[in-house]
Amino acid sequence: MKTLKSTQTGRKIVESKLFFPFVALALILLLDFIFIPGFFKIETRAGNLYGSLIDILRNGSYVMLLAIGMTLVIATGGVDLSVGAVMAIAASVAAIMINPTIIGVKLPPDVMKLVFDPNFTYSPLWEVILVTLVVSMVCGLWNGILVAYGNIQPMVATLILMIAGRGIAQLITHSLRIQIFYAPYAFIGKGWVILPFSLYIVAFVYAIAWLLTRKTSIGLFIESVGINFRASFYSGIDEKKVKLLAYIFCGLCAGIAGLVASSNIQTSDANQIGLNYELDAILAVVIGGTALGLGGRFSLLASIIGALVMQATTTSMYAIGVPASAVIAVKALVVIFVILLYSKQVQSFVRKIIGQKGA
Amino acid sequence: MMRKISTIISNNRRFLPLTVTILLFFVAYAVGAWMYTGMRDPQVFLNLFRNSPFLLISAVGMTFVILSGGIDLSVSGVVALTTVASAALLRDGWNPWLVILLMLVMGMVLGATMGAFITYLNIQPFIATLAGMWFARGMCFFISDDVIPIDNHTFLILARTKILIPGLSDPVSQTGDYISILVIVMMLVFAAAIYIAQFSRFGRTVYAMGGNNGANEQSARLMGLPVNRTKMLVYILNGFCSALAGLTLCITVSSGHGLYAQGFEMTVIAAVVIGGTMLTGGEGYVFGTLFGVLVTGVIQMLIQFNGKLSSWWTPIVVGLLTLAFIIVQSLLAAQNARLLASKKVKRAEVGLPSDAGEAGKKKPMPFARQLLVFGGGALVVIVGTFLVVTNGQRNANGLSSTTPIQNCQSQPFRQDQAVTIIQSGAVLAYERNGGPNCIDELYAIYPDGRIEGDNGSESVKKQLTPEELDHLLSVIVARQWFTNEIYDTYHTPCGSCYVYYISVSYDGKQKTVKAVDGGTDAPANYWQVVSEINGVIPKFTSP
Repeated sequence: MKTLKSTQTGRKIVESKLFFPFVALALILLLDFIFIPGFFKIETRAGNLYGSLIDILRNGSYVMLLAIGMTLVIATGGVDLSVGAVMAIAASVAAIMINPTIIGVKLPPDVMKLVFDPNFTYSPLWEVILVTLVVSMVCGLWNGILVAYGNIQPMVATLILMIAGRGIAQLITHSLRIQIFYAPYAFIGKGWVILPFSLYIVAFVYAIAWLLTRKTSIGLFIESVGINFRASFYSGIDEKKVKLLAYIFCGLCAGIAGLVASSNIQTSDANQIGLNYELDAILAVVIGGTALGLGGRFSLLASIIGALVMQATTTSMYAIGVPASAVIAVKALVVIFVILLYSKQVQSFVRKIIGQKGA
Repeated sequence: MMRKISTIISNNRRFLPLTVTILLFFVAYAVGAWMYTGMRDPQVFLNLFRNSPFLLISAVGMTFVILSGGIDLSVSGVVALTTVASAALLRDGWNPWLVILLMLVMGMVLGATMGAFITYLNIQPFIATLAGMWFARGMCFFISDDVIPIDNHTFLILARTKILIPGLSDPVSQTGDYISILVIVMMLVFAAAIYIAQFSRFGRTVYAMGGNNGANEQSARLMGLPVNRTKMLVYILNGFCSALAGLTLCITVSSGHGLYAQGFEMTVIAAVVIGGTMLTGGEGYVFGTLFGVLVTGVIQMLIQFNGKLSSWWTPIVVGLLTLAFIIVQSLLAAQNARLLASKKVKRAEVGLPSDAGEAGKKKPMPFARQLLVFGGGALVVIVGTFLVVTNGQRNANGLSSTTPIQNCQSQPFRQDQAVTIIQSGAVLAYERNGGPNCIDELYAIYPDGRIEGDNGSESVKKQLTPEELDHLLSVIVARQWFTNEIYDTYHTPCGSCYVYYISVSYDGKQKTVKAVDGGTDAPANYWQVVSEINGVIPKFTSP
């Protein structure tokens, strides 16, 4: 490596998938550093860490979770628009399993008293989580079947669940906003063990995805299906199963994100949970350098950083004092900026500059 | 005979999704008319058109985008921005025609910007228009956080003028069945769009560009068609249509707000797909889009007429229909590909260009089977919709008989209490419940200007001066409260929408009208009255 000229090293860095997301994240944090005093301050309270940076990580956890699943789907050359709706479905299922009285299930009077008790749950927590995740995987399976075996364009196939999913979630909860009182469930999204507990969930899911794609051949299969599914088929890869797997995993991630989101606000609101998150997740992946619509090479870590770019923008806008509903306009500008970084014109320009410096 | 029919169908295969949609519309309406006598009223049929300018104008623009092989998610944002910006400008006293012109130009500029990103920087349409949507929606909140009411005379005339239908109305007394000016605008846009799509060079280029996963765009380019220019024009056209749709929306609801038309882009895309346009582009008709919009309208209408059914059935049924049409389309595409392949093989075998008619003669049998599949599929959807509607009704009945449960959106109107209030001499009883914070507020306004409100946990009081009270009541009367202009438009509200109940007892007349916000079907005057009342009542400190 030492014999490489600096030009080549420079090129290698620029061509790395992680380069542009890191540049974008660093730019945003730099602006924060200049304009917002105390943005980087981290406090310790009762052994737990708090601060704006921790907030970015904590609030970004849903999008990070979604982005992990979405990366695999986009790498196969697809896209999943239904993740937001799946989040809502997952949250609804979890809520009615914890407190079924809300939809009219009659419980014996001595149990009925306990409904608002933070220690009360109708089904044990493991059962709630298991059923929720199975339901969200079934949602993923449905998308996967339509895309892989139905040969329907991914955007179209997942659009169906996106439109219908929120309606289904409303039907599950009888279009009620359900409050969740059960304390251990709330820990999933609200708990802290030095760092926010949701971050450990993200790390766990990331580790599984990383092992799955980098320590087995599935990652290679996904990339090859994305680059050319026909060629993959002829070289003996069952491209349909690979796609199916990616969509199921994406559904699973959406389900976990739904659990985290509903436990964070301790409410299951089929109307609001995960609203527009599919867009955030897709943009996170695109910022991470995985090509939407083309597929192929992907980097899970770059997608996670993409998710952080999105969240860092939002958090710093709040810190500056931009009204919550107007943040979306600024987010659009950031997205355009980052996407411009990826356009061929700009990239060749950057390469030229770095090449000249090296020479 | 069968063979003849199947030959005709196989020669007109491309019209199949369109035909299915048209049939679906009429069958669904007929089923509705059979179940609910209310739907047999010609005015209800006309209301389908009166409620659709917003969706149809937008869907026409989207049809072009989808035909060209792109997608535009920015419609809902542009629509919301148009309503807010025009309401804000009118509030500042701008000329309404200038505002309309400015809004259309703004839509075109936004469209052009996104088009330039897509065309010249090769950014995916999905991403570029998504950013456009966010930008437009965010800008709304820079202009105003709250709803801005519109009381401009021109806008009210545009909203309120009735165009009576000859034969179904009485021109002397100005009563009978009617449509609005916006319906005429919608029809003009629609007719112009058909002309542009079918008979202009631009339209043909759009068709040539779309489809085949972008390969057709390459071919169009190689043929020397102005692909870049056409792409730009398509997005500019859609920006124009979105702005026009936004104007119709803000004329209908007489106000502007950044939260209007949430998720509207998906409704538009679904309507275009149900109208028989291929989402991959290149195939479809603007004419079909009309029926796509009408089918969505009929579904909504059936659910509204049912009354007890949750409005959340609408997206589910629309989703299922979209699925059905997508399956029909992909089957058609597969059939086309097979036909093409078999022709190629035949040409190779014979060494001659084969005759299309001959191919048609040899192919009728598989096609008859295909027809059976489509017909069966459409039948399943219709029967399914029907079952869903009737079954849902039963479920809804079952639900209402169970114990009262914590219900956020549609708490029962505290009617008894409201009646007592009116009987005890109040001029106005106003209840607002639901909304994102599950409120349930009931106000009473008495002839001496006293306002009393309670929300179950807290009560508030306020004293109005006689002038303020007079003004309020005269506004309510001037908004034609006691005429047929104001009517009930209650249907199951969306999750975070408010339900309004207003009883007015004045001058010996009394009338109660309910409405749900988020719907575009409530009369504009009603919202004026609501915002007028909201302006004077005291606020609760607890949510």
